[in-house]
Amino acid sequence: MTRVNLALLILIACVASLPLFGGAYALRVGTIACMYAIFALSWNIVGGFAGYPSFATAAFFGFGAYATGILLNKGVPLSVAVIGSLVMCFLLAAALGTVLLRLRGHYFAIASLSLVEVFRELVNNATDLTGGGMGLNIPLASGSGILADATFFFYAMWALLLITAVVVMIVSASKLGFGLNCIRQNETASNMVGLNSTLYKSVAFGLSACFVGAAGGIYAAWVHYIDPSDVFDILYSVKPIVMALMGGLGSPLGVVCGAFVYLGLEEVVWRNYIQIHSGVLGVLIIMLLLFLPHGLISLRSGMFWRKAKHV
Amino acid sequence: MLAVQVLINALVLGCLYACIAIGFSLVWGVLNVINLIHGSFIVLGAYLAWGAYQWLGISPWYALVIAAPLFFAFGYLLQRLLLNRVISAPVLVTLTLTFGLDLILNNAMIYYFKADYRKLTLSPPTGSISLFDVVVPVDRLIATASALALTGLLYLLLRRSKVGRAIVAVRLDRDAAVLMGVDVKSIYAIAFGLGAALAGCAGVLMALIFPISPLTSSAYLGKAFVVCVLGGLGSVSGALAGGLLLALVEGIGSTLIGPAHATTLSFVLLIIFLVVRPQGLLGRKGFE
Amino acid sequence: MVQSRLARYARISGSLLLAVAGLAVSASLASAEDVIRFGAPLPITGPLAPEAVKQQQGYDLWAEQANKAGGITIGGKKYKVEIVYADYQSNTPRAVQTTEQMITQDNVNFLFGAFGSGAAKAASTISEKYKVPTLAATASSSQVYDQGYKYLFGTFTPNDTLTTPLTQIIKAKAPEVKKVAILARNDLFPLAIAQEMEKSAKANGIEVTYFEKYAINTLDHSATLSQIKSLAPQWIFVTGYTNDLLLIRKQMVDQQMRASVVTMIAGPAYQEFIEAAGQSAENISSASWWHPAEQYAGKDIFGQTSNFVKLFRAKYNSDPDYGQASAALCGALFQLAIEKAGSLDREKVRDELAKMDVVTFFGPVKFGANGQINSLEPPVFQIQNAKPVVLFPDAIKQGEFKLGVN
Repeated sequence: MTRVNLALLILIACVASLPLFGGAYALRVGTIACMYAIFALSWNIVGGFAGYPSFATAAFFGFGAYATGILLNKGVPLSVAVIGSLVMCFLLAAALGTVLLRLRGHYFAIASLSLVEVFRELVNNATDLTGGGMGLNIPLASGSGILADATFFFYAMWALLLITAVVVMIVSASKLGFGLNCIRQNETASNMVGLNSTLYKSVAFGLSACFVGAAGGIYAAWVHYIDPSDVFDILYSVKPIVMALMGGLGSPLGVVCGAFVYLGLEEVVWRNYIQIHSGVLGVLIIMLLLFLPHGLISLRSGMFWRKAKHV
Repeated sequence: MLAVQVLINALVLGCLYACIAIGFSLVWGVLNVINLIHGSFIVLGAYLAWGAYQWLGISPWYALVIAAPLFFAFGYLLQRLLLNRVISAPVLVTLTLTFGLDLILNNAMIYYFKADYRKLTLSPPTGSISLFDVVVPVDRLIATASALALTGLLYLLLRRSKVGRAIVAVRLDRDAAVLMGVDVKSIYAIAFGLGAALAGCAGVLMALIFPISPLTSSAYLGKAFVVCVLGGLGSVSGALAGGLLLALVEGIGSTLIGPAHATTLSFVLLIIFLVVRPQGLLGRKGFE
Repeated sequence: MVQSRLARYARISGSLLLAVAGLAVSASLASAEDVIRFGAPLPITGPLAPEAVKQQQGYDLWAEQANKAGGITIGGKKYKVEIVYADYQSNTPRAVQTTEQMITQDNVNFLFGAFGSGAAKAASTISEKYKVPTLAATASSSQVYDQGYKYLFGTFTPNDTLTTPLTQIIKAKAPEVKKVAILARNDLFPLAIAQEMEKSAKANGIEVTYFEKYAINTLDHSATLSQIKSLAPQWIFVTGYTNDLLLIRKQMVDQQMRASVVTMIAGPAYQEFIEAAGQSAENISSASWWHPAEQYAGKDIFGQTSNFVKLFRAKYNSDPDYGQASAALCGALFQLAIEKAGSLDREKVRDELAKMDVVTFFGPVKFGANGQINSLEPPVFQIQNAKPVVLFPDAIKQGEFKLGVN
């Protein structure tokens, strides 16, 4: 267990203490923070480790949300529904990955972006199953009080974050992680030395999708009503990238910090600059990319326990 | 006959799509930058045309002439001052940067112009021509003709002028172009400026046909994407081919399986092309 | 090494705490005792921004009138009205978050619903949990009210109240109409009302030859319209928002499509539509929940419908449409309920709303058991000579139905 990973675990543990500091609203924001961190960590597997700039996060978030929503509507208990979404997303992503991951760079980015559009339109048109443009109602999981509900969902998202972080740590220390590293640096050479890059990439893509899907499931149960434009929103694909860039590509600790800082910025901007918040966000992104291309982690020179690599 | 009508609609629409995509394709092909601001440029051009017509009484045809140099300058400066810094950065960085720029531009437009939809209605209205049961609106025809003229102009520019040849050279082989004495930095800026000018002009033409609002920028961008992938990057003929193919698929798909599925179909087609034939219909053969 | 690591931890936890602190600390707003705060989450930015402007106009007009009269009277004391706005960026999850923020951070007493059926429904879960009475000004789909909530009320009648009278008028005035083509935007309200239309048509013996949905950002409808044209229906029914309908109407004219009846919901109710469509708006029929031509003698702060229209015109230089009217109505209803309850207690106000049975400038207001209003008779109208002419109900009928749309 490296020091970095330890730091990450400690950070996550600290977040768990949020209910002691704030009421239902703070828990709501905390839940979103955990969700963003899950996005960033998951994206990092395929974007940071493997070097494939994926824009498919929103596709699997939405897929997971709808899968869980539909299962819940059929009476399946929440935990089973979420695990079901997780497994479905993993398999789906791995399968799609074998086809899409043959593309590199720009082309892969566009293909993954198109996935979001395709999934959204498919859901939009399957009106009988998903409610189409009219959205999907999800039954209230429990009739309990506000605080109990908020705490429940906060801990559910937090637990998922912990699992994701642990898996990411295991991956980075394992043969898979090593293989992804090789693929990022030089895929052709990796293939030549006998690394089964298709398998590794597909697994990575699958892993990057499954936790996002599960997060989508928890999200759906949390908000009780989802519609295609909400959950298949391109921004859910772009934000993890910005978070990862902010925190430092490739580093799990970095991306999680990036996620939290991003959320903080987003909240501050949203509250104070109502009319121009997306413009301010744009300015932030540009500043970030021009002046801090390696993320917050790089602010401390000489601390490259993991060099943030170019993608 | 329905089939013929659908076909004619698609042909006309396809040229418009090509017009939307050509600037995008140029920037992507030459600078290897996916310019996510493209959609917003188009909308800005449309506003220019609308404003000129509404307040100054300037007909859109003249607006074209005004738009081109304005947008060229805007794009040139943008590239020179901002995008040039990340020109050799990885895909992710340039994509996210242009995404950020687009957020700013789009937000500014919503702030100043409001999100209400505006319409440029020419008075007197131009009506439609009807030939053997097939109806074609005149304004679309004119816009299509202008779109073709624009792309033709670009083609000539790239083929005949020194700057144009330099752009093609950079597109084909950047390093060799440097060796040949081409000032790549300046070419990048010119190409981006050109892309912006084309987007602005496309916007002026679109103002005649579609409603104008900052909210439509993502729709234009989406079309540009698909056209580029289908037709092939960086070539005028590619953009035309891609535009026609997209319009045909949408039109026929709409008629056979309903409009709701037509959008899905176009993106599925995109993915299929990306996987099976990423260089598009007409591939990377430079500008021809 | 240890030092820099500590520095890193400090920085990380610092930024995290900063982020969380920024969120958890409630902006304590000065709670003046003589103020009643109404929360209005609106899509001030994003695709629904134009709608938010309308809602805001309605709310502001009411607040201004209420405060001009001194405020809302409770037990002899006058309370000023304050409306707290927040932007949920046309994004439903944000609408939910904004609603909760308004209740817990901004300490509003009562809430106006988010715009549209989807967001109103999603956010209603929050207001139900916190037991805050919410009046939704623009939620018409009955699906919004099917969760058995007690604190949610809505001022739009269900969608079928628009389509049924319309179908009956067509059946009576245009018996040659045998086929209808329905084109709907794939979105909660437009699709829901299109489905109601389908039911209505079938119930009245009109054949539905075409029913398709178009995606939200569709730029070009020419293929769809060509297909509808080839089916030659006598009635074309299109739903969507103003921009969609303008685009479709233009493309219909381009293709030289003609029909006996063309109905569009919900554009023609708006002045912008009529102006932008120009000549092509002639004889288009539509229905909405209110019309300035109505003549009700209300017991609310606006009183006569004509008075409301006059005040609106004076403030905004344009005629009000049903969206703005509904927003103002919600404010006026809260005022009536609070004054009747004689307190700011949420339970009591909620009960007064549930019991309400009063005539307002908008029409008679009575809420059904599920919280949705069921006492209105939505007007059916047609654009004739660039002006909307009411055809139904008979009490306010201004003209006769005209056939034939070019």
